[in-house]
Amino acid sequence: MHGRVKVKTTAQQEEEKRKEREKKLKIYVAARDACFSKRKEGVCDDEALQLTQQLLSSNPDFATLWNYRREILMHLETVKDRDEMQNIYEAELSFLEACLKVNPKSYGSWHHRGWVSARLPRPDWARELSLCDRCLSLDDRNFHCWDYRRMVVKVSGVPVDQELEFSDRLIGSNFSNYSSWHYRSTLLPLLHPQTPEAGQEPPHASSPRGPQSHRVCEEQLLKEYELVQNAFFTDPNDQSAWFYYRWLLGRAEREETVSCVYVSREDERVAVAFSRPVNICDLPPGTINDVANEHNLTVHWTGSHTHRDCALYTGRVESWCRDTATDQELFRSELSVEKTSVLQSELQSVKQLQELEPLNKWCLLTIILLMRALDPLGYEKETLAHFQTLKQVDSMRSEYYSDLCSKFMIENTILKMEYAEVRVFSITDRNLTSLCHLDQLLLVTHINLSSNRLQRLPPQFAMLQCLEVLEADNNFLENLEGVYHLPRLQEVSLKNNSILSCRCSFRAQISVSSGTPVLGIGSFCDLCSYLAAYK
Amino acid sequence: MAEEEKQLEEFEQIDFLKDRHVRFFQRTLQVLPERYASLETTRLSIVFFALSGLDVLGSLDVIDKDLIIEWIYSQQVLPTDDKSNLGRCGFRGSSHIGIPYSTKGPGVLHPYDSGHVAMTYTGLCSLLILGDDLSRVNKQGCLAGLRALQLEDGSFYSVPEGSENDIRFIYCAACICFMLDDWSGMNIQKAIEYIRGSLSYDSGFGQGAGRESHGGWTYCAIASLCLMGRLEEALSPRELDRIRRWCIMRQQSGFHGRPNKPVDTCYSFWVGATLELLGVFRYTNFEKNRNFILSTQDRLVGGFAKWPDSHPDPLHAYFGLCGLSLIGEPNLRKVHPALNITQGAFQHLQQLHQTWRSSCGQQH
Repeated sequence: MHGRVKVKTTAQQEEEKRKEREKKLKIYVAARDACFSKRKEGVCDDEALQLTQQLLSSNPDFATLWNYRREILMHLETVKDRDEMQNIYEAELSFLEACLKVNPKSYGSWHHRGWVSARLPRPDWARELSLCDRCLSLDDRNFHCWDYRRMVVKVSGVPVDQELEFSDRLIGSNFSNYSSWHYRSTLLPLLHPQTPEAGQEPPHASSPRGPQSHRVCEEQLLKEYELVQNAFFTDPNDQSAWFYYRWLLGRAEREETVSCVYVSREDERVAVAFSRPVNICDLPPGTINDVANEHNLTVHWTGSHTHRDCALYTGRVESWCRDTATDQELFRSELSVEKTSVLQSELQSVKQLQELEPLNKWCLLTIILLMRALDPLGYEKETLAHFQTLKQVDSMRSEYYSDLCSKFMIENTILKMEYAEVRVFSITDRNLTSLCHLDQLLLVTHINLSSNRLQRLPPQFAMLQCLEVLEADNNFLENLEGVYHLPRLQEVSLKNNSILSCRCSFRAQISVSSGTPVLGIGSFCDLCSYLAAYK
Repeated sequence: MAEEEKQLEEFEQIDFLKDRHVRFFQRTLQVLPERYASLETTRLSIVFFALSGLDVLGSLDVIDKDLIIEWIYSQQVLPTDDKSNLGRCGFRGSSHIGIPYSTKGPGVLHPYDSGHVAMTYTGLCSLLILGDDLSRVNKQGCLAGLRALQLEDGSFYSVPEGSENDIRFIYCAACICFMLDDWSGMNIQKAIEYIRGSLSYDSGFGQGAGRESHGGWTYCAIASLCLMGRLEEALSPRELDRIRRWCIMRQQSGFHGRPNKPVDTCYSFWVGATLELLGVFRYTNFEKNRNFILSTQDRLVGGFAKWPDSHPDPLHAYFGLCGLSLIGEPNLRKVHPALNITQGAFQHLQQLHQTWRSSCGQQH
């Protein structure tokens, strides 16, 4: 059901049209019935070809008829010689061209053409490519045609660099051609594959196949940067080149890892954080509450072939093992282009464009991305400023950008926390709209999220297994679902929120009403002074 | 002053005409105009749009439910006595092949009769919407018919005779298995591999590997994984974030399906529901979305078109309503974003599942 524009007609024109349609309908029904009775009787002759042709011309989406036609053609293959079949199939291709002129988006027609091309005794792939060229010149976004072209290229063995030239031509004549850029993204890795280096691509032997083959060697990458920069300097508002550029800058997948193992002797508790949700097996029996002994724990993540050890020494009440976010370059490895010099140079180029086009959202987004890859803490102030501009310039998505900015601020706070070697996490008065990376906060004992725009502390908040003090005044929290499973929690402050309901399962007493302070065991002054020391 | 008047006029026009849409769907169920002839083979899917549309409007009472239930069951391709046609079972799109009308078994063997995966999917949805208990659905047949359609690479044909194969039919298959509460109808692992292989360089999903990202196929991918309960297993947190980003960028006023294409009413559902499943629909601009959808509303005959000033059709009428339902339009029922039926119909399905599970083993 494709869009049909409304057109006004006179009553007489309407009546004439109606009579014509009725006539066509009668012919259609007669032909259809004749067709089916032939097929039922297993007849595969020229008349059957004629009948199906008639019907398919007016309705190329009648899939059963295409199937019948293929049966007829396959039957003819058994009784005619190669030259005759060549003629028959060539006539078929002409018929299909006529069908495609009427409806260039019919699944049935394209599928059948693919079938015919594969069976032609002497295929003419140049003709097929030329058909694609013509079709694309009329509609360069027709994905049926692009898919067909991909098939032709693959089956006929057209060299990849020839197709790369083809995409060069299309892009050169019109930078705003998303389908051409897409095509290029599939060709490039074939022509200039990057050999995987150790440690770069995690060995996902057991994980599902994914688009990890989308990688290109560096020499070619630099040439592509030039091409793409030409494109977005010429038309900065077209998203085609920006998405392609984003892809070129690459994407590193986070290595799957056991983020942290924490052991507490006095709580008899082991807490383990994984980098993504997992299925857990049963735990082995045993106990760790005896002061005298040393305990060595290993957590195996079988699905990802990784593990983590943690030793709880004699006399120690707690222990942990984790790689810091800094070690993992966790927040910098969003891009897989490794060389800082390359990233710096790209940043310069995009900044130049941003001076010319200060309201362009793609520039701003790309600059933010590059800054985060280069030096998240060093560029923090500039990045926050760019986010403000971005939210004004693309206000339709301002909530999304707030979320993205929240993520960035959390990442920076984690980094700062690690550099300071403390277990206190504090982001206040920063318009934080959501929480993430909670698996990195397993060891945190004190958290302050006051004066932000949080609506919930999600269930994943339960990962903060060491949390003793929670302060989240002046937010928009509606419930406390994330707070019920924190075994060490002693002090909670949630003034000026929108809490509608809660369960009273704390050791502390909680009373809730709008504006009423919520306090727990322990003095509030102690909390304030403790936090002040770490500001 | 003149501009203010114009703005006021536009505001007055943008109101939701519920009754017109009810009548639009009623007419759809009675007679289709001649220009729909090419869709005869998929007529059951049009019935689904009308039924689910009426359900979203809370107006199923205007139709004869039993009559339609009987018609739907008459499209079921049932196993023959000797069960030689199990791989062809399911639901047809309509009676266009000419099989004699029957709502009961055993099946009649006809060499060119078979189910169509999208018709089995919309047929089952339609029955649920009408409150049917699926007791006359031959589950063994449907699942065998489904298994016969899956290819080595994990994708599905639409019919056992063969057709194009891609991610659309994986979605249909996932819905069928979900509704029948039986995943033996498909090899989930292979389907997941095909889905992952369809993830494009820009983090949208194509119809298959190497193909261009598109809002419709992205919906099929994400909704399938959600129905399978494998979303977070199949896609990493970073991949999910990138997919969210690609989808969020599809909003222009309403939504388009691909970059640099015009916005189209149906993508308010395809992309909107995907964003809902990924937990970020709330970041979209509801007002602009609503204004666009309503700009495609046909004030005379009801329904919605893909663009303003175009003829409405059942598909866009239905997805326009679903798009409005997602943003919380008053007087519209909520839609389950993965299964694409109302929450009410979904609850009916859950009750059926409970009944089946407690009397386990009795329906095979």
